Amino acid sequence: MEHGAKSRYEIPVLIAVVTLTLVIYVARHAEWFGYLQLSAGLSLILMLLVAGSLIWILIRTLDGNPAGRRMVFLYVAVAVVLPLSMQLTQKIEVTPEVNQLYRGLQALPHGAKVLATFDYDPGSAAELQPMAETFFKYAFDRGFKVIIMGLWPQGPAQANMALTKVLSEERYKVKSLRYGVDYVNLGFQSGNEFVIQRMGGEFKSMFPTDYNGTPYDSLPIIRNVKNFSNIDYSFNLSAGYPGTKEWVLVGVDQFGFKMGAGNTAVQTTGMYPYLRSGQLIGILGGMSGAAEFEEITKYRGKGTKFMLSQSFSHVVVVVFIIIGNVAYIMFERGRATEKKKKA
Amino acid sequence: MLFRVAIAFACLFIIAGVAGQPAGDTALAVQQTIAPVTSLIATNHEYDNGTGIDLIWVPSIDDRLAPSRVTGYEVWRSVVGGSGSRIAELPAGANKFTDEQCSRESTYVYSVVAISVAGNAVSISTAPIQPAREWINLHRLNLLAIAFLVSAAVIYFIQSARSGKKLFVRKIAGLDAVDDAIGRATEMGRPILFIPGIQDMDDVQTIAAITILGRVSRVVADYDTKIKMPVSRSLVMTAARETIKASYMAAGRPDAYNDDMVSYVTDEQFGYVAAVDGIMVREKPATCFYLGAFFAESLILAETGNSVGAIQIAGTAMPAQIPFFVAACDFALIGEELFAASAYLSNEPKQLGSLKGQDVGKAVALVVIVVGTMAATIGSAWDVTFMNQLWSALKVVFQTN
Amino acid sequence: MESGLMHHVALWLAAFLTLGIFSFLYRDNTWYKVCEAIFVGISAGYWFVAYFWDNLYTKFWVGVWVTPMADRPDDWYVLYVGAALGILMLLRLVPKVGWISRWPLAFIVGATAGLYLVTYFASNVMLQIEDTVRPIFGAENDAPIYEIIGNIVVAVGTFTGLIYFFFSKEHRGAFGRAAKVGIFFLMITFGASFGYTVMSRMSLLIGRMDFLFSDWLKLIK
Repeated sequence: MEHGAKSRYEIPVLIAVVTLTLVIYVARHAEWFGYLQLSAGLSLILMLLVAGSLIWILIRTLDGNPAGRRMVFLYVAVAVVLPLSMQLTQKIEVTPEVNQLYRGLQALPHGAKVLATFDYDPGSAAELQPMAETFFKYAFDRGFKVIIMGLWPQGPAQANMALTKVLSEERYKVKSLRYGVDYVNLGFQSGNEFVIQRMGGEFKSMFPTDYNGTPYDSLPIIRNVKNFSNIDYSFNLSAGYPGTKEWVLVGVDQFGFKMGAGNTAVQTTGMYPYLRSGQLIGILGGMSGAAEFEEITKYRGKGTKFMLSQSFSHVVVVVFIIIGNVAYIMFERGRATEKKKKA
Repeated sequence: MLFRVAIAFACLFIIAGVAGQPAGDTALAVQQTIAPVTSLIATNHEYDNGTGIDLIWVPSIDDRLAPSRVTGYEVWRSVVGGSGSRIAELPAGANKFTDEQCSRESTYVYSVVAISVAGNAVSISTAPIQPAREWINLHRLNLLAIAFLVSAAVIYFIQSARSGKKLFVRKIAGLDAVDDAIGRATEMGRPILFIPGIQDMDDVQTIAAITILGRVSRVVADYDTKIKMPVSRSLVMTAARETIKASYMAAGRPDAYNDDMVSYVTDEQFGYVAAVDGIMVREKPATCFYLGAFFAESLILAETGNSVGAIQIAGTAMPAQIPFFVAACDFALIGEELFAASAYLSNEPKQLGSLKGQDVGKAVALVVIVVGTMAATIGSAWDVTFMNQLWSALKVVFQTN
Repeated sequence: MESGLMHHVALWLAAFLTLGIFSFLYRDNTWYKVCEAIFVGISAGYWFVAYFWDNLYTKFWVGVWVTPMADRPDDWYVLYVGAALGILMLLRLVPKVGWISRWPLAFIVGATAGLYLVTYFASNVMLQIEDTVRPIFGAENDAPIYEIIGNIVVAVGTFTGLIYFFFSKEHRGAFGRAAKVGIFFLMITFGASFGYTVMSRMSLLIGRMDFLFSDWLKLIK
């Protein structure tokens, strides 16, 4: 069935799905039954079933019945959802770029001042939020002083969400970390790379007050922070422009501070030249970067949890690329024979 | 010279016994249980706005012994005629510090306190020093020289283009497709969709896109095709309206133009994409142009355009997005080809001149990469002195920090 | 917020919108259109509010009217220049003097170009050229084989890539062949980039699925 086509089953199926969803919602929120957890054995069987059906699709394609796009969507959805409930863990290998970023953080002394810049919005939170959470956990455990800011309007709000989550954990509650002393959120400032440029002169000129409107000088953590020279490390989380590239070009290269970055996978390849030349200390690339960061810091969270879904969905995509190419070749051949016939 | 003056001043201060000890803190009750740091010297931090002073010293002798008895250092500063205060705490082993929080109007005296469990030791103070501002950063002279070379080439080519000289720019594959694609939309009676990226008018890619829009809308005006242009920046909306209006005027059909051809949607990236996707599915454009700066939305747009059967022509200089356009569009301008296309189509001296000037820069880069890599490889593999010198020289020329 | 009726309403609203957007995968429909309109409206509104409070109010209004004279920076009156440029931009609404709005635009374009002339040159041109020039067999002649291959790939890739983007010469003969090698390198890079993007898209999908199955339906831990 192709994109845009209507079917007479639509309404009954929709009603069934809505009813089922309501039942599950009420049942789970009232805790009539427990979480859906698939044992290792069952997980393996399910994976084999999916693999088998993919082979069946390949055979059908060879027979000249290629699968529609909705089939691809369905498989990807299954490949993403199933592993979330599987009790399997995936071994995560830490790549050199993540290792380098970690070493850079490790080399910092207790009480080091770290500038954490949040340049993303909820659209990229799935990839970057786990990195933010791991970073805060690591920073607070090491006693870093964290200065948060954002060049995206929603960035500082994302930071606050990660902070709230981390600070509600018992481990950090007992530390009784204080706002303004152990961490501060300077908020958003418009002006993109010009903000970085001006911060090179004086932070205060761009952030006269923090996120809550408290004057800069009345916050102990930043009272002695004039500009980048008083910062020991900068950690940037970015999903586009302005982001890591602008921080490297306008910040690192002009004012010479150390920076590590967490990026959405989309823009990670573009950052590697800066890694090779030493303009960036390390890179966390996408969900796998987040999982590796969790692995090396030993704060396992969502990044690690999602890795199995990530891998499984990649396998499905690879299989569909093969199926797609088979279909393409067959289609081309079909067209070539048609042309011959016409000739 | 400065070094000697500083030493001389320091000596004078010891003799006079007024070695500006930071006043007003009990931490300074000197117990000479460890040796203080020696040879403390303050110099003006070079090439700044007059806010920095560099300090260097030889760590305490007790810090250099193993195990070190020194736990850390404190840097104290006092403004001449004022009281002193601690401005930094440094770990053991430290031998330098840059104070970047100075004012050009004040004169400062520094001392360093070595800290140990048994007691602290204060160094002699530095000579009074006032930071100075420098207007030109001489460390970056090489940058100035190379920027000057390329800028000169750009100006030269702009001038030659203005004086009527024909500048050669190689033909960009894919440009021929523009007219055909518009013709197709006209035949099918469907609109053309033009997406100028999601950046503002301060992005050079958006400017290139608007230049190409000038050409596209001219053909559109001639053929009387419909054009739809949802944009994500208000400034781009006004620039685009002006451009299309100018094309309709040039085509002699100002009455056929209307402002609704260009509409603002939202600045938010995915909000914009959702709206454009909706427009594509509903209006089924025959031809889609995606020219300008794109981010994660590139594939979503190109994929939707593909599903409605549009001919797609794309161009961006965002390295991460080019792959999707190459894969999902019929024609793609890769990276700088977008600017080249803009120069080629507009035939404007400024654009042509810039393109040619940049080619000079690229030629220099090509030569440096070939010569440099050969010099570095031969130099280090066979230890050829001349090659090593050449390599070092190139390194100096291209180093920026 | 976390408990009670509001919590359930918020969950259902988020799920309704997520599923509405997903429904586009099946086909374009009213549900999707509603979600799309809500998304566009809210995001445009959010940007407006963010700019209003962060710039117009916090920077300009507070800087010019609220902050006591003694606490202002030396150059506080620059805020008036910014405000004036902003007003000039709004003159577009008056057709007769609309052309004046090009001045602030020229200011933005000029300032950005000025900033980038230096930074791009230093970071993206000079530093990258310096980094590309490396001894192929390593500085001490002891590079392992994969590093040697890496160095060759970087040197040849940069060289041929630059040739492809050289516009003053037709791609013919040896020059054309080098450009062809360049486009090969570009395509391989694009492939790698594509792979990363698939990962990115899957991550976003996983994030939403996690919301639906774990936060909303509570089916998954």
